[in-house]
Amino acid sequence: MTDTTAAPSERRVPVWAEGLIGQMLALLIALTGGAVIIMLVGESPLHVYTVLLRGAFGSTENIAGSLLQATPIIVCGVAACVALRGGLFNIGVEGQLYVGGFAAAWVGFTLNLPAGLHVIVALAAGMAAGALWIALPAIMRARFNANEVVSTILMNYVAVLLTSYLTIAVFKRPGGWSETEPIAETAYLPQLLDGSRVNVGLIIGLALALGLYLFLRFTGAGYAVSAMGSNPKFAAYGGVRVKRNILLVLLSSGAIGGMAGGIETLGVHRRFMEGFAPGFGFDGVIAALLANGNPIGVVFAALFFGALRKGSLLMEVETGASREIITVIQALIILCVSAQILIRHRGGISGEKRWKF
Amino acid sequence: MEILSQVFTISLIAATLRTTAPILLVALGGAFTTKAGIFNIGLEGQMLMGAFFGVLGSMWTGSALGGLFFGVTAAVLMALTFSFFVVTLRANEVVVGLALNIMAGGLTISLTKAIFGVRGSIVNPSIVGMPRIQVPFIHDIRPLGQILSGYTPLVYVAFAMVFVVWLILFRTRLGLYIRVTGEKPEAAQSLGIRTARMQHIASIICGVLAGVAGVHLSLGYIVMFAENMSSGRGFMAVAVLIFSGGDPLKVLLGCLLFGFADAASLRLQTMGVSSYLVLMVPFVVSLSALFLLSWRQRPRIIRETLDKLTAPVVAKGRGS
Repeated sequence: MTDTTAAPSERRVPVWAEGLIGQMLALLIALTGGAVIIMLVGESPLHVYTVLLRGAFGSTENIAGSLLQATPIIVCGVAACVALRGGLFNIGVEGQLYVGGFAAAWVGFTLNLPAGLHVIVALAAGMAAGALWIALPAIMRARFNANEVVSTILMNYVAVLLTSYLTIAVFKRPGGWSETEPIAETAYLPQLLDGSRVNVGLIIGLALALGLYLFLRFTGAGYAVSAMGSNPKFAAYGGVRVKRNILLVLLSSGAIGGMAGGIETLGVHRRFMEGFAPGFGFDGVIAALLANGNPIGVVFAALFFGALRKGSLLMEVETGASREIITVIQALIILCVSAQILIRHRGGISGEKRWKF
Repeated sequence: MEILSQVFTISLIAATLRTTAPILLVALGGAFTTKAGIFNIGLEGQMLMGAFFGVLGSMWTGSALGGLFFGVTAAVLMALTFSFFVVTLRANEVVVGLALNIMAGGLTISLTKAIFGVRGSIVNPSIVGMPRIQVPFIHDIRPLGQILSGYTPLVYVAFAMVFVVWLILFRTRLGLYIRVTGEKPEAAQSLGIRTARMQHIASIICGVLAGVAGVHLSLGYIVMFAENMSSGRGFMAVAVLIFSGGDPLKVLLGCLLFGFADAASLRLQTMGVSSYLVLMVPFVVSLSALFLLSWRQRPRIIRETLDKLTAPVVAKGRGS
């Protein structure tokens, strides 16, 4: 995004540095706001933040745990990022995560395939389910301009309920509680470290982020997506097939969201459980917003959110603050970022108010 | 057929009116922001805050009216934050709305734990719920009484609001200014209308109604607060607003559809259909309506006839 907003030559700070300073400032304000909320619930902010840090980075296991939490957020963040760069909102990453996770688990416990192939087929099933889940909103958005924000949000609720239904009413493990049978060992996503569930999904996430960055930076198709994101009318005038691109962008975003679910079920839980990954999809969307649609930035934002999540578990045990405090902090971060981005790019009063880069 | 006759009864009509009320209230609130040209995705969060502070206020003051006051105040504060970011700072509506929804979810859960020391829900005998109103005379007339009497006051308020909102939007200067702000902001400004102020006002009114809707959730038929108890109603309201364009009569029709879907699906649950599938029904209905109506917007003739059919009164008021 740095190259699309060509900096005037007299600017002293490079655009990316200015963005980074803005994000750090947003972070600082949000942490201060978080401190106020923590005081409001009757705890000491310093104590809560210390425990949070210790929970996230206090030991090797905790750091591994933070990476484990960050993995699905990275993948979901890339999913949201794809849509965001095309000027679209995929708030349905959460739903795609759920159906993708279920589809991957289903392949895992139903099919009998050789070791390497099984994982690939299961992940592909997850991606297909994710793409399928966004297909209808995507078609309606591309063809009839139906608002994708609301349709993808509503699809989230259906996805969570549908996968719960399938898990409990159709595929429940005998004697188990709201979970399916475990997947076959051939479908396990390989682990990276002994004694931790950090898995290949982390590498996949990083590769996806890098791939998206290179795609947007160096390919014609990537440029077309960015152009559509910053100004669809101008892009159409310049020969970009906007309708087709909207469809493709949303479908790929959904597929990546589905893959995130697959990575979570195959790599961490090794079965599908009701509520197996609460909020990872939303965290991904927030990470993409915080990073302002930059795929590399998404990785850092996701690592930060992963650490917050891991830290919040210890915080819940050791202090009186509930772990949802971190979602309040995340919301504050996004508010600050949204305010300052648009202070820099103020449009006219009736100008199109889509997210712009 | 037997199932159908079991589902469609007089008590179903009553249940439909009851379940329509909260979504109608919040959607009518959203009608103001929609007309003022703001896409308000933050309704869900405002409603949730209304529900939570409704319960708190009810416990603090010992009356349902006190609960209403606190719930509405909390929702209005959310609405003001929304319009401060969206109107004053010109931030993106979707991003701000999303952030505020997430914040409402996190804040209500955190405060529940801080105040009551529990996770999940607040159930407490000291929460005072809304009374039920038995309309004199009508209450005793058999089928009519079942349909028209015995609701909490906010149900009546919700349906009366359809007319009130229509009146404000189409028959007052404020409504005219709000609509001009949404439709032709440049024209509004050249006429000396302060568009930013109009949008703030629209957002505040929206917050009031969203707060009332939230209080209805937690102090109406169920007297408790549960995590994320608005459960997507705010988003369904946004769907209604998209295909109704914020016209009160169309909003009413859309909300009745959801109320009916909600009530009918609850019926199915008592017949042994899985609750997960049942809970899905309103979402599927709102998605179908959203898709079908955006598909319908293509051929102009269909759209225009639909307009004529549903809103003859509104069309007149539009002449400005």
